[in-house]
Amino acid sequence: MIRVRDLRVWYPLRKGLFGELLGRKREWVRAVDEVSFDIRKGEVLCLVGESGCGKTSTGKAILQLVEATGGDVFIEVPGAEFERFREASSNPQETGSEGIADEIRRKYSITWKETARWSVPEVYAFTAMAETALVLALLVPAAVMGLVADPFTSSWATLGFGLAVGAILGFVASVPPARPWRRSPMLLALLSIVLVIFAGIPTFYFWGIAHGGLGSLGGSAIALPWERDLFAMLLSTGFAPIVAAGTSALLFDIRQRTGGLGGIRMRGLRRRLQLIFQDPYESLNPKQSVYEIVAEPLLVNRITRNPEETTALVLAALRDAGLRPPQEFMFRFPHELSGGQRQRVSIAAALVLQPDFIVADEPVSMLDVSIRTGILQLMMDLRASRGLTYLFITHDLSLAWIIADRIAVMYLGKVVELGTAEQVIGQPKHPYTRALISVVPSPDPRKKGERIILKGERPDPVNIPTGCRFHPRCPMAFEPCGWNAAEVADELRAVASSGPWPALGEIAVTDPRAISIHPPPGASAQSTAEALRAAIAQDRGTRLALKGVADVVVRGDSVVVMLHEWSEPPLLELGPENMVACHLVTPPGTEAAAVTA
Amino acid sequence: MALLEVRDLVVEFKTRAGTVHAVDHASFELKEGEALGLAGESGCGKTTTALAMMRLLPSNGRIVTGSINLAGRDLVRASETSMQRVRWKKLSIIFQGAMNSLNPVQRIGRQIAEPILLHEATAKPEAIERAGKLLELVGISRDRINDYPHEFSGGMRQRVMIAMALACNPSLVIADEPVTALDVMIQAQILELLERLRRELGLSMILISHDLSVLAETCERVAIMYAGKIVETGPVVDVFSDPKHPYTQGLVAAFPDVRGPRVMPEAIPGDVPSLISPPAGCVFHPRCKFAFERCTKAEPALAEIGPGRRAACFLFPEVPEVSESEIPAETR
Repeated sequence: MIRVRDLRVWYPLRKGLFGELLGRKREWVRAVDEVSFDIRKGEVLCLVGESGCGKTSTGKAILQLVEATGGDVFIEVPGAEFERFREASSNPQETGSEGIADEIRRKYSITWKETARWSVPEVYAFTAMAETALVLALLVPAAVMGLVADPFTSSWATLGFGLAVGAILGFVASVPPARPWRRSPMLLALLSIVLVIFAGIPTFYFWGIAHGGLGSLGGSAIALPWERDLFAMLLSTGFAPIVAAGTSALLFDIRQRTGGLGGIRMRGLRRRLQLIFQDPYESLNPKQSVYEIVAEPLLVNRITRNPEETTALVLAALRDAGLRPPQEFMFRFPHELSGGQRQRVSIAAALVLQPDFIVADEPVSMLDVSIRTGILQLMMDLRASRGLTYLFITHDLSLAWIIADRIAVMYLGKVVELGTAEQVIGQPKHPYTRALISVVPSPDPRKKGERIILKGERPDPVNIPTGCRFHPRCPMAFEPCGWNAAEVADELRAVASSGPWPALGEIAVTDPRAISIHPPPGASAQSTAEALRAAIAQDRGTRLALKGVADVVVRGDSVVVMLHEWSEPPLLELGPENMVACHLVTPPGTEAAAVTA
Repeated sequence: MALLEVRDLVVEFKTRAGTVHAVDHASFELKEGEALGLAGESGCGKTTTALAMMRLLPSNGRIVTGSINLAGRDLVRASETSMQRVRWKKLSIIFQGAMNSLNPVQRIGRQIAEPILLHEATAKPEAIERAGKLLELVGISRDRINDYPHEFSGGMRQRVMIAMALACNPSLVIADEPVTALDVMIQAQILELLERLRRELGLSMILISHDLSVLAETCERVAIMYAGKIVETGPVVDVFSDPKHPYTQGLVAAFPDVRGPRVMPEAIPGDVPSLISPPAGCVFHPRCKFAFERCTKAEPALAEIGPGRRAACFLFPEVPEVSESEIPAETR
């Protein structure tokens, strides 16, 4: 039903006026960084992860509540069309592939925006078109009017002149390469007004040609039509913009429908994509009654025509949300409801538009345990009775375990593991998933297992670690995971200050993959390198960053520590449904990477 | 000997709508070095019990009867000045939502040092020095002593709050929902820290949480509260693996278990009753699936039903009724 591809949500980091003026490189909070997954009709997909991993941003981007920086969210794209898109986007060198991809995006992706990037030929074409618009819209009616013996004396002719200006302008502005643009109706309207106001100049110019003599009336030509029939001219200036905007809109619409340019309409879709918020204590307006809260989406979307209809739908939604009898709850205010009832009101407000897809952002995390089950049960019942599809966002793996069909585990804006609930919880493959599962407290103290407590907190999404973004906290990180020079140098300093090893001297980071060490006075580069090698060999099991060291070489009188190559692990398909992004796992058929203990 | 002994504690709040019986004859005890979990839904009187122990009830609340015996001193009858000597030095509290209860415009070193300066005759540099040691104890680098709270993450702020609670070497720490708003991973880190501190400093602890699984992992004994009453107590493993009171059974069954089967947990029907006019008889009977006639008429007392286990439920023949004479007329 929904296919998310390479979705990115980046928030710009403001640096203040001076930073902007100095033109410092723009920094981004990479909340969601190229996330791809599918949500099938009628399933519950759980997004799991720590706070700040981008779960909520993903959910909001799917609903277009935050603007996606890049990537696509396809809604109900037919299989064949999507296949075409995949083919087109996988070989971008091929000519025309970009056009195909864009065409499908325009039709099915809600993150699609008509980009206004102009190429040089397009600018020429546009200039030529603007000129044509002016010439045609002004000169054609003027030439016709100029043939008349006495221009602007008949009110009907004057009115016809205005309408003609508008229609021609609207027509020219809608043929290729013109594109629908938010301000184009306004621009057309303004242009047509100007043209009508100054209609006298070209008309009397042509009149002069037609009746002998050139431009005989000069400056007063502007005023003449207005003097002759002020009322008709005013009417004409009033009608011309309406006709111009209307014609262009109409023609664009026809062109979009016939030419496959029809973008998808967000407003219609909004009805079908709904959201349940996390905190029912904050997401309900305390000044609105339950009736007003639930009826608001109906009124905003102009679904119902009369109050009776609205009331009937509100009652039905409240009943479906488990608030029975609904009449009793309709005129209560949020403060008169318990937490569970409030969340049911939120659900009713989402249900009232008969959606197909609901993003539930931590819908039960603020509720007491005893009430949680009721809400979850309600959501599952609604799925059964209405065929709803859920994107369930939670940090609680035990919740995901009981309600999800499939689970996507996110870390720092990336999906690191994706699979069915049994695959992800039963046989977790990514070290992060394993750690997360191990720390979920169990209500049965006898099941207390080995807890893998990760060190530290998640890194800042502005400075995402090199290589695998989980490696600094990963208990199983090894050579290719992305140990960079700064991390290894820190570890070497720690080794030097703690171990039984001789002083290492000055440690300097020279480039991302090399560290140079100046031996302390009295020690030779050779002996320092020896000591370093021994230290690394001994401590690499406990100090994982030392695994990043590929080689220690002596160069002149300094020691250079070379680091391993690294890469960000791709999301690999391991089996049916199951995808993992970790260097430890390799796709079936290839040889496993050597893990050094 | 028990470090803390709470007997028949009754706390009431006067509100415009009526008297709220927030804590109703709660009794429990805590041995030296033990961790006791206090569990129950919100609105069950867990936090009120903690505040009553600290004698920090809001102005409309009062302790009606009962005693709180901390190391031989009855805190209910203690004067405000002697209470001030007890607070922080003997008994300290990590407040609920603690992440937000730090002063945003004061450096954290100064904030940790404040109770030390108030309660002990120490000079300021010495107090700051101790604050640095406390920070290291809770796993924060001493270099951050001059940072402001907003420079810390939620988990780090919770660590600062713990450091503050430990500032005057109390023997008993009450932690009110210490991990509720935190991520699972940070939750695990904080719980591990609390466990380590308990081991290293020989602390006794009362952990208040609505999350049974948090208590299951950290405490030795639990007391389950419902509508201001303690309905079951016992060793944590026994209570969770074999809950006796129907409310405890409901609570345990309401928890999804990531290591268990994939089934929807059961819900306890209904809501916590209004504490202004609690139901007659057993407070839980309107929501209890085993309720029978006796439950609606008489109130079960918390009685021994097995080794180390007590429950207040008539399903166990040995549980007596609460006799009228035990209950002061004013609380009825």
